[in-house]
Amino acid sequence: MKAIYKILWPLAVMAISQTSYATGMMTCDSGDRSTWKTQDELRATVIEKGWEVRRVKVDGGCYELYGTNPDGKRVEAYFDPITLEMLLVSQRGKILYKKELK
Amino acid sequence: MNFLNNKVFFWLLLAIPAVAMSVAMGNGAELERLMHVTGEFSARLMILALLLSPFKLIFNNARWVNWLLRRRRAIGVAAFFYALVHTILYVVDMGTLQAILSELGLLGIWTGWVALIIFIPLAITSNNTMVRVLKSNWKTLQRLVYVAAVLTLVHWVFVHNNTGPALVHFVPLALAEAYRIYHWFSTRRIKAIDV
Repeated sequence: MKAIYKILWPLAVMAISQTSYATGMMTCDSGDRSTWKTQDELRATVIEKGWEVRRVKVDGGCYELYGTNPDGKRVEAYFDPITLEMLLVSQRGKILYKKELK
Repeated sequence: MNFLNNKVFFWLLLAIPAVAMSVAMGNGAELERLMHVTGEFSARLMILALLLSPFKLIFNNARWVNWLLRRRRAIGVAAFFYALVHTILYVVDMGTLQAILSELGLLGIWTGWVALIIFIPLAITSNNTMVRVLKSNWKTLQRLVYVAAVLTLVHWVFVHNNTGPALVHFVPLALAEAYRIYHWFSTRRIKAIDV
């Protein structure tokens, strides 16, 4: 019985220390919505690249897309609503891609 | 009054989210939404079951705490069932074994699996026969729920990609347990009383 604890507790403690890296939030300085491309345009653009789209919503002034990327991974991706540039991709909290800020 | 104390009534209460979800499914609710709800309820029920020990202390043996304590087994088993449905929905949502395996290495995902795996023996031993058979080992085994709770917290934070909702649920538990630990160390205890 005690042996199980020796394995599981360190795992749990290591896991919990990773939570500080968990948020993959993004904000966009996107201004007036009339300048934005539509969600349908975003869907069409990414589907062409091999994405599957489940849901699109607005988050922090960006488009947040839930779906499967061309590699088959279930991800959340943030896009600039004006340029439709991909800004951030995270898979279950793990950041796969983040656009470098200049 | 008797009906409200009836164990069947309590099980019906625990089943309300499941019924609501079945209705939602019939109305074409998104799988991901249902996954989220089942996960939340599983975590909530587990946290409720865990809170009862420090609550017995904090609220000084209050009747409502003891009422819930007598139903703690049902709460725990219900938490397991919601976790099971949650996992089934996940498996259906991912679709293929390959998709599931490809995610398995992710911290946000394996923590969920291990928490579920811990839940299984806990649920299986949630009966009088196993309490009798396992004797003092029964309590030792059930204490693995604390490890499952930590793993659940990590799982939630990572798959939801947000610390907020998870912390709202787990911080009260952490505070209650902190109080219990403080109480243990600040009072002279002649006999260990395990709740």
